Amino acid sequence: MVLEVKNITKNFGGISALKDVSFSINKGEIFGLIGPNGAGKTTMFNMITNIYEPTSGEIIFHGENITGIKPYKITEKGICRTYQNIRLFSQMSTLHNVMVGGHSQSQSGVFSSVFRTKAQRTEEQQLIKKSEELLELVGLLEHKDTIAENLAYGQQRRLEIARALASNPSLLLLDEPAAGMNEKETDSLYDLIKTVQSRGITVLIIEHDMPLVMKLCDRITVLNFGEKLAEGTPEEIQNNEAVIEAYLGKEEDEVDA
Amino acid sequence: MLGEILNTYYLQIGSFILINIMLAISVYVPLSSGQLSLGSAGFMGVGAYTSALLTIHFDLPIVIGIIAGALAASILGVIVGIPSLRLSGVYLAIATLGLGEVIRVIFVNWDTLTKGSVGLTGIPQLGREILEFARGLGFEPAMIGIKNNQFVFLSIFIVLLTLVIVILWFVVRQQNSRVGRALSSINQDDKAAESMGINITYYKVISFTQGAFFAGLAGALFAHVIGYISPADFSYHRAVEVLIFTVFGGSEVIIGSVFGAFFLTLMPEVLRFVSEFRYIIYGILLIVLMAVRPQGILDANLLKKIKIKRSKGGVR
Repeated sequence: MVLEVKNITKNFGGISALKDVSFSINKGEIFGLIGPNGAGKTTMFNMITNIYEPTSGEIIFHGENITGIKPYKITEKGICRTYQNIRLFSQMSTLHNVMVGGHSQSQSGVFSSVFRTKAQRTEEQQLIKKSEELLELVGLLEHKDTIAENLAYGQQRRLEIARALASNPSLLLLDEPAAGMNEKETDSLYDLIKTVQSRGITVLIIEHDMPLVMKLCDRITVLNFGEKLAEGTPEEIQNNEAVIEAYLGKEEDEVDA
Repeated sequence: MLGEILNTYYLQIGSFILINIMLAISVYVPLSSGQLSLGSAGFMGVGAYTSALLTIHFDLPIVIGIIAGALAASILGVIVGIPSLRLSGVYLAIATLGLGEVIRVIFVNWDTLTKGSVGLTGIPQLGREILEFARGLGFEPAMIGIKNNQFVFLSIFIVLLTLVIVILWFVVRQQNSRVGRALSSINQDDKAAESMGINITYYKVISFTQGAFFAGLAGALFAHVIGYISPADFSYHRAVEVLIFTVFGGSEVIIGSVFGAFFLTLMPEVLRFVSEFRYIIYGILLIVLMAVRPQGILDANLLKKIKIKRSKGGVR
């Protein structure tokens, strides 16, 4: 078991964004988190990475309770995420963005940075090499010196994934990675996520693109109004009456992605 | 011959420019991690008074005094920095401005130690000490054909120039490293930086403290260059002046702070011939600049263009 989410509740003022939600993710799985807008999916990501602390409940990662520990420590432990609304370091080059992602994998401090100790130079070289490998993986190596904000939208989404991978996570959280992508871009995103999985990284993905979710995920949890509606394989979810009523049924009328 | 070239007035302006560059860097470094600090005048004051009092009352060597002054400012930087990190943007600016005023008021009211608003006189002067030291080694300024006071100003200038170069070296090297990338990522998106595994509290305190250190160092040097300090030297006006150096020159790149401090220290001197109009011109210049180029004179794009032009020129 990589991640266990146990009875998570989150209240914002009087409103419950999440009500007693539990699920667990096995090693090497691609696990989908779906639901209509406002169902609490991103809030769940914010609980796992502790951007907000849950009102009650526990997050267990590799058997260790990580509820309430600092976000940067959670990254050090091996959980890294991307954002629904892209949050790159927009004035930095593509390569530097990925190198910041590798922060937790390196340790040079002020002293060794200023005096360029041998250890620091070696570490910097390795970080560059590893970052370039990741850029190659997401197909952005030729853009490594481009300032992040000048990248095309789909490229920015891929860069976010590369940046997250640089922290060497065992669990990768993807928040709507296909949002705003065309069919071709979505196809290559599918390949990318499959490659990530083949490297032994467990993936938790929030996505509205149903064909992609159904094709990609091993198991899916459906949230609706902050509550868990269903859980199962893509087929089970597609045939679940409650899900069809609450979510998939409505989806056909929605133009919105 | 050297004696004819060396103009003490120019050397003195040069020294003020160098001190102001240090102060501008003390604003730039915290700003590079997204913290707008207006405490530089306060930290400068702490550095100046610490060093002045230690050297006057305890006869400590100036070097020890200056180091103690810079360290005292950075310790205050840590103490103030940790709680202030909850604040950002304009709120941090106001809090640090308040800090500066508190420090100034303490200097004014702690009569027994600081002599109040009259200030401290008789602070050992850096240039004279260097002269005495050189004489102790059997060196006389006349040996290279310059007068004693020329030697005094020249030695101060060289010491300050060396320190500014060391500081620039330090900041640039730090910037092009893991630490610099962390600071820059916090500046651009602190939430995303934190979820990339960066301990933002730690790095914010580091950069805030470095700013305090540079300001304290500049203050201590100021005290030993001028030989006289009073609380008015470290008022709110000074804080704003220093901020303007950085903002005018361009706060995105370190060379902007250097340029801003250089240009804005030099300009009132150059404009002496229009006497009473010079501060009006200064003011108009700032207004025009902020309207036309809010990011400051120098920014990353402009530097890139200059670099490309230069490399093209090299090919030819």
